[in-house]
Amino acid sequence: MLIAALTLMLAAGDKPDGPALYKQHCARCHGAEGQGAKKYAKPLAGDLAVPQLAEYLDKTMPEDDPDALDADQSRAVAEYIFGTFYGKTARDRRTPVRADLSRLTVRQYDAAVADLVGSFRGEATYDFRPEGARAEPVRYARKDFVGSVFAPATGEYEFAFTLPADVRGRVWLNDFNKPLVDAWVRSGPETEFRARAKLLGGRGYRLKIEAVKIDKAGKNKKDFVGPPAPESPPAAVLRWAVPGGRPLELVPDRFLSEAKVSEVYVSPVSFPPDDRSLGWERGNFVSKAWDQATTDAAVAAADHVTARLDELTGTKPDAKDRGDKLKAFVTTFVGRAFRRPLDDKQKSLYVEGPFKREADPAQAVRRAVLLALKSPRFLYREVGEPTPQHDTAARLAFALWDGLPDKQLREAADKGKLGTPEQIRKQAERMRADPRFALKLEGFLRHWLQVDHVGELAKDPKKFPGFDAATAADLRASLDRTLADAATSGDFRKLVLGDELYLNGRLAKLYGADLPADAAWQRVKLDPGQRVGVLTHPFVLATFAYPGASSPIHRGVFLARGVMGRVLMPPQEAFSPLAEDLHPTLSTRERVTLQTRGANCQGCHTVINPLGFTLEGFDGIGKLRELDRGKPVEITGAYTDRAGAGRTFTGPAELAAFVADSPEVHGAVAEGVFHHFVGQPVRAFGADAADKLRESFAAAKYDLRVLAVEAAVLGAMPPVAVAAR
Amino acid sequence: MAASRREFLRHTGLSAAALPFLAGLPGLGFANGTPHRKQRLVIVFSPNGIVPKHFWPDADGELTAFKEICTPLEPFRDQTLMLNNICDKVEGDGDNHMRGIGCLLTGTELFPGNIQGGSHTPAGWAKGNSIDQELKTFLQKSPATRTRFGSLEFGALVPDRADTWTRMVYAGGNQPIAPIDDPYQMFKKLYGGAKDREVIGSVLDDVADDLKTLSGQIAAEDRKLLEQHTTFVREMEQELKEARKADGHVVPKLEDGLREGENDHLPRICKAQLDLMTAAFQADFTRVATFQITTSVGQARMRWLGITDDHHNISHEPDTNKEAVEKLIKINRWYCEQVAYLAKRLSDTPEPGGEGSMLDHTTIVWTNELGQGNSHTLNNIPFVLVGGGLGFRMGRSHKYAKPGVPHHRLLLAMAHAFGHRLPAFGSSNFCGDGPLSLS
Repeated sequence: MLIAALTLMLAAGDKPDGPALYKQHCARCHGAEGQGAKKYAKPLAGDLAVPQLAEYLDKTMPEDDPDALDADQSRAVAEYIFGTFYGKTARDRRTPVRADLSRLTVRQYDAAVADLVGSFRGEATYDFRPEGARAEPVRYARKDFVGSVFAPATGEYEFAFTLPADVRGRVWLNDFNKPLVDAWVRSGPETEFRARAKLLGGRGYRLKIEAVKIDKAGKNKKDFVGPPAPESPPAAVLRWAVPGGRPLELVPDRFLSEAKVSEVYVSPVSFPPDDRSLGWERGNFVSKAWDQATTDAAVAAADHVTARLDELTGTKPDAKDRGDKLKAFVTTFVGRAFRRPLDDKQKSLYVEGPFKREADPAQAVRRAVLLALKSPRFLYREVGEPTPQHDTAARLAFALWDGLPDKQLREAADKGKLGTPEQIRKQAERMRADPRFALKLEGFLRHWLQVDHVGELAKDPKKFPGFDAATAADLRASLDRTLADAATSGDFRKLVLGDELYLNGRLAKLYGADLPADAAWQRVKLDPGQRVGVLTHPFVLATFAYPGASSPIHRGVFLARGVMGRVLMPPQEAFSPLAEDLHPTLSTRERVTLQTRGANCQGCHTVINPLGFTLEGFDGIGKLRELDRGKPVEITGAYTDRAGAGRTFTGPAELAAFVADSPEVHGAVAEGVFHHFVGQPVRAFGADAADKLRESFAAAKYDLRVLAVEAAVLGAMPPVAVAAR
Repeated sequence: MAASRREFLRHTGLSAAALPFLAGLPGLGFANGTPHRKQRLVIVFSPNGIVPKHFWPDADGELTAFKEICTPLEPFRDQTLMLNNICDKVEGDGDNHMRGIGCLLTGTELFPGNIQGGSHTPAGWAKGNSIDQELKTFLQKSPATRTRFGSLEFGALVPDRADTWTRMVYAGGNQPIAPIDDPYQMFKKLYGGAKDREVIGSVLDDVADDLKTLSGQIAAEDRKLLEQHTTFVREMEQELKEARKADGHVVPKLEDGLREGENDHLPRICKAQLDLMTAAFQADFTRVATFQITTSVGQARMRWLGITDDHHNISHEPDTNKEAVEKLIKINRWYCEQVAYLAKRLSDTPEPGGEGSMLDHTTIVWTNELGQGNSHTLNNIPFVLVGGGLGFRMGRSHKYAKPGVPHHRLLLAMAHAFGHRLPAFGSSNFCGDGPLSLS
């Protein structure tokens, strides 16, 4: 082995021959082009800088004989593999990327049918602004509440309507033909009535509440109108649980409005979930269950349209022009469903066809709705001959709202005013005002913080007395508010550097802020200088922790992967954390260092640990601490970026400042926003697309809203296939 | 039940392989009343009590002649059983009209609540399920008796108002089930799926054609997705074809222009509903049905009989008001005609895959929330049974001795006739003497 290495060195002069060394020592296990082989199947890919990679190779490789290569040889191998297949640029070059044909994602499907049907009810105006929030819960003690409620998330809501025994009441939500909760007949001792309803987030739903006091004879009391005295108990209370593991709470005033909105068609059919393996929802597969769901959903939509035919088409059963009106409705319906004007062939198949087959025009409408909603032209994004400006309108609407183009966007496309980036941007900036946009941005932030699928946050009650399910729910609510603010303002730097935290009385007590026990939600400066920005939000810190302890590794992986956008390989085998009790004298930091000191671990843990350690000043529930197992916590850390530039930090404030200013972080956010909004790989839109977005982000002073608009504008242009190699 | 079946197979030397064929051949030597005989139950409700004098036969025993109200049942006299002196003994909250309908099929009290009647205390919904729903659950448990719907709740002229007077059927305590009083809605429930399947079948044809066109227009890399999609569409077309073969039931033709809730349409609505019910039984969509004509305190104005004031008002008139009595006789005879129409439809239809007529396998129970309108009594509630479904001995009238028997015992008898041997139903303190012996 030694002789062979010497020979190679001689052959290449003084500089070791990287490719030859790789072939000789590495290819057996990793494949000729790092693609993996039987022994080690994973492709060699990552983003350690060359010096770190070289050091790692020198210490650990080849696995059976780590001394076979000296430092210079390891360096040569590192340079070779980095530039050929390991590093990001090399990987991008080797794997060409294109925008794939996609069907509508589940989210897009639900929004598209809602928009499609809703477009015949006039454009909805949304009149909900979180800034107008009142702290007091609404007391439905007046005669009626008629207005609307804003859904801050998509999914199944649970409602609980509570009434004293001498009050009767009903609640209508969205569908006013049938009460959601009917407690008009009081029967038995129950005072709480529950119901569930699926709502699509970012939209307003009409809401009507009746609550009437009754006398002993069961007659309505006439004098029961007007608001109650502040100290009197509310006559009727509507609470809800927002989907995503949130508890039942009073429907907050900030989600209620007196505004009247139209009914929203919410498809009752649930689809199989979308693929998220690349980090964003993709409509990249079809299945029998999906096909069945599209049929069921088409039937449900046809039922809805049939039941409300006169309302949607503006005609009556005995009207003379009914046939013409219904055909005109179908023409518009199909065009909007397909997001483009229909050509003659499509008109003949999708509009004339149903009217030819059915003698009854109402039945023809039903058939046309089924046909349109089962058509690949509705179910897929952009199939068929291109219709450039209408395609752009659809891409923009799906990107910003996950839904269909609205009237203004349709008209812009009809008039040919969506051809240039400026024209597209102008529309995107208008569309940004819709709450569906803020909600989508909020969704990105949840994904970025990796809290979008956090289930129940349970902690060891012995280690963290006082942390219960209510605390976990409060923390989630606090983060909800933080993210809603960030999505509304778009201010990325404030999100990362802000010195205020939303607390209520309960959280204040546990986390050591000075608030009355029953204090309502408010912004509080907690742990000044230590608690900086959303990375130190207790929900985030508690999520990346064990039930009984902090976890620098979880926090470090989150920071490296999620925030810095680094690629980390999973460990080669599964490890359990070293038990605290076996090392009673060690702090968490020392235990982690001990466990990951092996050379095999160091490749990644040299990145992970020093990032995670900067947050060791917070325990497993994200509360500030000075001691860990009796020792003062050490919060120094370090980070070396992809280019190999290193720096050190002490504590979260310096970490946050670094994150706020790091081009690497900005790049990761820019890519993430593009993927979240557009749903296609950014590289399919140009080799420099990601860099351009990062630059726009910087130019906009790190306004996430501007970034999202730029991403949508870029994604609304026809994608360019990047030529292979 | 399984044992007797196995035993039979052993005796006849038939192997297990023949089993599926056997199941489709009823009447292969099974005696009346055995578990494998198809049985159905229909409960028909009409309101405000009857006029006892013109309803109950004078003599106990063989039914030789009907009184005036029941004359429409004359063609089915030997298949009719009249049970006199059965009483709704349930007490508690609610006036007699409320308890009359709310406890009629549930045999249980009403919850205290906020619905105030003309007298007595206010009340809410019944505390338990009704016997038809109990039987539905029982029949749906076994593959041999399971049907598509399990039960169907028909109505006619039921106001769009949910309260104790308008609900007879309960899935459970505080869970009233609204009857469907719009024949078109019932039609959609029964046949909408089939119509949709037919439309979707031809829609899929168009979709598959368009998929082919599109496949030619997109990049080769993307074609796989559409090809997969096309496969699923073709599979579904095939499955729909199979399903449509099974759909081949007789679909009744409804007349146009019926409006639910339209008083004067009541006769035509009733006919449409009963035609739908017959067809649903024929297709074995269900073996249990209820038909609630109007509601407790029903206020139909039977102008088609020359009666312009509402039924409930007339029912309050004293027995001495001859004119009112005449009207009540006409009204109740009209309700009886509805029962007779159903009996006729069923008796005219051969039992599918079985012996005799569908009426031989069905028992219609005609009942009411009150014994008599002007006294509001819950004693001596009318129970008229027609047909052979429950295997009771028919062609007779039976008068129970004073003070009568709780109606719970009749509810129990109906359950037992289905092989559902409940020890008690509803308030158990009225079930002590077990089911009435009626066979």
